[in-house]
Amino acid sequence: MTAQDLRRGKKKSLAENARHTCFSVWKHRQIYVILFLPVLWYIIFAYIPMAGLQLAFKDYKANLGIWGSPWNGLENYQYVMRDPAFFKAIGRTLSINLLRLVFVFPFPVMFAIMLNEIRFPRYRKFLQTVMTFPNFLSWVIVSSILINILSFDGMVNGLLSLIGLETVNFLGSEKLFQPLLYMTDVWKSSGWNTIIYLAAITGIDQSQYEAAEVDGASRWQRIVNITLPNLLPTIIIMFILTTGNLMSAGFDQIFNLNNSAVKEVAETLDMYIYRITFQSAPDFGFSTAVSLFRSIVNMILLVLADRGSKAMGGNGLFA
Amino acid sequence: MLKKKMDWVDWVCVIALGVFALIIMIPFFNVVMISITSQKDYLNSTFLVIPRHPTLQSFKRLFEDGRIWSGYKSTLTILTIGMPINVFLTYCMAYGLSRKGYPGRKIIFGLVLFTMIFQGGIVPLYLLMKSLNLTNSLWSVILAYGVNTFYMILVKNYIESLPDSLMESAKLDGAGEWMILFKIILPLSKPILATIVLFYSVDRWNEWYNSMIFIRKQNMFPLQLVLRNIVINSEMAGNVTSASASMQGSQFTMGLKMCAVIMTMLPIMCVYPFLQKHFVKGIMVGAVKG
Repeated sequence: MTAQDLRRGKKKSLAENARHTCFSVWKHRQIYVILFLPVLWYIIFAYIPMAGLQLAFKDYKANLGIWGSPWNGLENYQYVMRDPAFFKAIGRTLSINLLRLVFVFPFPVMFAIMLNEIRFPRYRKFLQTVMTFPNFLSWVIVSSILINILSFDGMVNGLLSLIGLETVNFLGSEKLFQPLLYMTDVWKSSGWNTIIYLAAITGIDQSQYEAAEVDGASRWQRIVNITLPNLLPTIIIMFILTTGNLMSAGFDQIFNLNNSAVKEVAETLDMYIYRITFQSAPDFGFSTAVSLFRSIVNMILLVLADRGSKAMGGNGLFA
Repeated sequence: MLKKKMDWVDWVCVIALGVFALIIMIPFFNVVMISITSQKDYLNSTFLVIPRHPTLQSFKRLFEDGRIWSGYKSTLTILTIGMPINVFLTYCMAYGLSRKGYPGRKIIFGLVLFTMIFQGGIVPLYLLMKSLNLTNSLWSVILAYGVNTFYMILVKNYIESLPDSLMESAKLDGAGEWMILFKIILPLSKPILATIVLFYSVDRWNEWYNSMIFIRKQNMFPLQLVLRNIVINSEMAGNVTSASASMQGSQFTMGLKMCAVIMTMLPIMCVYPFLQKHFVKGIMVGAVKG
């Protein structure tokens, strides 16, 4: 065969491929019809806004719109770099989320192990119903309840004065704001998060426990030497997946627990973006620049978390 | 079960979790008590509020105020129109992606997954809604939340776990995709559909952020935003540090606020204990299947 023949052959197969694809598309046309509406939704409400991120490199003029506004290169980012509040917000976000890993993350594991040890089915079911319920309330509701019980004449201060302690201004204290975030986080979502660990516990091979019982291991020893090691992969995977949210997580919570007295310590990156976007004279180019930065950092963290979780034999982010 | 003696592990677990359950329940109890108490009883009580003279005065005032009703109207509109759209779009997407061997599947799936890790953010979305003339309309809130990709993957995994032979034999009988979708897959998908109906309903009920951005007219605010205005914003506007925050004027505002909290969470509270297992089941489907 000459080189020419070969090329012709390739061309022919390309054309054939195209015809084959067209045929295949036609054959599966019903699937495309089924996919049409959801794909249209993704295009309009997910991908068009993504294209709108070009505002990060533009000087937004309301009358010209996203596409018509003039490009201004990296000018918006120069402004961002000059805003100390931006760097403070990043630091705050990281510190809050790292401390969440310390103070919030262990609770579902603990609760799951304890729930598993409870031998009264009815009590266990009751506990599970109570503990998982708050997860389905919005932070608006949880924060409203908190305002009630932590107010000056509320329940907690009532208890404090009853046992002779001084009342505390919980909601208006900069020092207490972060601990409050962790506590309310545990209150609201740790019960629901036990489910994944409970499932992992259910999957543990029962013969391990039986063998341990024969060997005379106490229940505590069984928890430490069988349940915990078997849970470890799940714990590590959940930990890695949580680190994917280091730069986000918790906007709803912080936004609703925020008030004028704590607004300094409450300004995480998301809160900062909200403030610069909806302040009295917003500069959409500027806020989109920050928002794009956040999106990219989030994406990198999530991809790393996904890789990490898969490396540990987990499901990754996409279940 | 009870034959074995309780050892210390039992005691620790029973008591620790019992205390945690109490910490969850007491605030709710407190909210309910305050909503039916009078201002006088509230000020006289210290730790737990026990209404000596139960009254529905606060509820009456809340209902007369009217905001809660317009909130209900908006939220129910968003729920009854938005949730079926969510479920329909999610189910179609999941079914389409569960099928194999058609051109473009990989690209579509990839682009859908990409939206899970990268979003355009609120400014472009807001400007889009503005250019579509949807701001100040509930449609902006309804359409901004269409497919939750995570739920979509739950459904897709579920459909893929159904035996292939069902579809094969249907195809041999000459059934088209629509036939397979509605006559074969849909009836078998009832459990997962029930779960995403619940998830979407809760999401719709709890929605507030998009409406806060897209809707300016107070009388169109959904319930959560109404609650936010009644409780949180008034708290922020009034001085948080003032001890009399709950007694502005002669009105018992804390009672009114707690009535609003109850009205906002009542539906979820009533429904949750009965449907809890469906919530859990749904999330397990996603966790177990790889």
